[in-house]
Amino acid sequence: MDTIKEIYTAVLEGKVEEASTGVRKALDSNIGVSEILNKALISAMDLVGEKFGEGEIFIPQVLWSAKAMQAGMDFLKPLLASSDRLESGKIVIGTAKGDIHDIGKNLVAIMLEGAGFEVIDLGVDVSPERFVQKATEEKAHVIAMSALLTTTMQSMGEVITLLKEKNLPHVKVLIGGAPVDQAFCDEIGAHAYGTDAIDGVRKVKGLLGR
Amino acid sequence: METGLHHQCAPRFRLLDESQILRIHHTALRILNEVGVKVNFQKAVDLLGSHGARVRDKNVVEIPSHLVEEAIQSAPSNVILYNREKEPVMELGGRRIYFGTGTDLPKTVDLVTREIRDTKAGDIVASTVISDAMPNIDFIASYGLPRDIPPGLHYVRCFQLEVENSVKPIFFTAGSLEDLKVILDMALAVAGSADQLARYPFLVQYSEPTSPLTHSEEAVSKLICCAENRVPINYTPALLAGSTGPVTLAGALSVSLAEALSGLVIHQLANRGAPIISGVVATGMDMLRATISYTAPEFRLTHSAYADIFHYYDLPIWGTAGCSDSQFPDLQAGAEYGFTLLNAALDGCNLIHDCGYIGQGFVASPEMIVFADEVIAMVKRYMRGFEIDDEHLAMDVIRKVGPGGHFLSEKHTLDHFMKEHWRPSLFNRENLPNWIKKGKKTVDQKLIEKAIEVLEKHKPKPLAREIKAELDRIWNEAEKKIRR
Repeated sequence: MDTIKEIYTAVLEGKVEEASTGVRKALDSNIGVSEILNKALISAMDLVGEKFGEGEIFIPQVLWSAKAMQAGMDFLKPLLASSDRLESGKIVIGTAKGDIHDIGKNLVAIMLEGAGFEVIDLGVDVSPERFVQKATEEKAHVIAMSALLTTTMQSMGEVITLLKEKNLPHVKVLIGGAPVDQAFCDEIGAHAYGTDAIDGVRKVKGLLGR
Repeated sequence: METGLHHQCAPRFRLLDESQILRIHHTALRILNEVGVKVNFQKAVDLLGSHGARVRDKNVVEIPSHLVEEAIQSAPSNVILYNREKEPVMELGGRRIYFGTGTDLPKTVDLVTREIRDTKAGDIVASTVISDAMPNIDFIASYGLPRDIPPGLHYVRCFQLEVENSVKPIFFTAGSLEDLKVILDMALAVAGSADQLARYPFLVQYSEPTSPLTHSEEAVSKLICCAENRVPINYTPALLAGSTGPVTLAGALSVSLAEALSGLVIHQLANRGAPIISGVVATGMDMLRATISYTAPEFRLTHSAYADIFHYYDLPIWGTAGCSDSQFPDLQAGAEYGFTLLNAALDGCNLIHDCGYIGQGFVASPEMIVFADEVIAMVKRYMRGFEIDDEHLAMDVIRKVGPGGHFLSEKHTLDHFMKEHWRPSLFNRENLPNWIKKGKKTVDQKLIEKAIEVLEKHKPKPLAREIKAELDRIWNEAEKKIRR
């Protein structure tokens, strides 16, 4: 149990080395994979998210916690049975066509990974076709898009149209970014709108029924 | 090796150059020498006369320049203030800036009802507790003038309530020599002895001459009493350009400087080396309403100018900021707080008072102390400037991230973001949807909530029971004596 606590603390404090050594130590002493995942890594990230929401810790600290979690995950991944995955969602993420502002998108991607999701980052200036094609290929559950410009946010609607055309109603769409709001989300028929990175993660969890 | 680079930049501001400082200084010396000052206290007249000042018409004293120069020399350049626990907490000198409330506001905007009503003793406790809790409020003043305490005892009660409810140094007024002595008795009870009080002063008395060029008996007697007891005093005129002084700023400044300097001379003649903090107010009178502006741009110009002059003398400097002419906490108050606090910080004043004032020095609104605290935090961050060395130029991480990447996950970001970047505790930085989601709160609502929360939760370090009992005894005696 002490090792679990060590990993938990390492993730909480964003200590990458400690998290990685902790997970190896736990595996050596035959602690179960799902126990390490759920009681140490995921639950630490849950608290990190909570503290961030309360304004007690800040973005760089959240990112380092996510890094520490990933460092631990690297050792667990090969050992995970499909039933061990707490968050079995797969998310394709990118900025809208014509938009190369990606800080917000990066932040959401890191947070989603921190929450245990599998994230496929298509980068910036992603065409609606590419979003849909990648989502199909990867059997993704969610397409997440962001835009900073009022001129580029329009292309988000095309993704919804394409999904309908291709008859892919199970792929959910999350949108975000400064000019976007709930009204726009409703207007284009997207499934959810995140007001910020933490809200984005919350909405993905909601979309996937978690 | 790199040579000649200062690794820290910081905002610097000066209004007057040396030739301008000397021109105003020489004018003040001429005023003292040729026009003189009226001194309505025989002991002070005798003191000046016996040191070479010329006395005419019984109480008008012409002060020769050498007495002024000697006083500037003999007054300490650095005055250390201690807290109630005898720990050094303020070093008044150089360009070190400290902030605190002001005194004597007869009206209070009630935190709950928002009505403007008479200030009461309970308000003195409340403002003291709030000031005690605010990290950027360095010293305490009465803030209010309690109308439920009989005149003559106001200041004694205020001092008692302040010292009971905060460990921070106290900036206080007294009505006359009589109540000043009672207050000093209380201070002595807290410090343990007269020696200890002089060794670890935790209070500054605030007194002012009357413009133009007059020292009242009350003011000078307090000045001399503090000098004799080596209790720090702030002796600063408040001149109204166009009514109690010349309308032009250079003239107003010269007259008020002459008033402050003549106070300094009397003080140093009474006890060489005794601690004093100097400054002036030279602001305009509103010629339509006959009111006094605390935040007029002209006030700030003379503020910067006298700060430059007293920095030139290397003497501790008083300042005024974090105040507003508005009768209610509103946008005007916000703008005036920001303007004056930044101005006073740039001026490098040491003892910056009146934080939390509104209504031209007549109205208290306790949440505005919280507001001042937030603005001071912002101003202090600005005044700190930034470092320019290899670590802060960040070439390594710039190379590592390269074009098109991001710095969010870099160790360099994690290592520096807390210290390099200020974060507001009350000012809004939420994005629009989150702000709406969290109830569309404006900062004025948050200030009131915060003030109420502080009053509920903050417990100041209590005064030892036996000292508290001694203060009660002194109060009871004073009440009998002064009421009579």
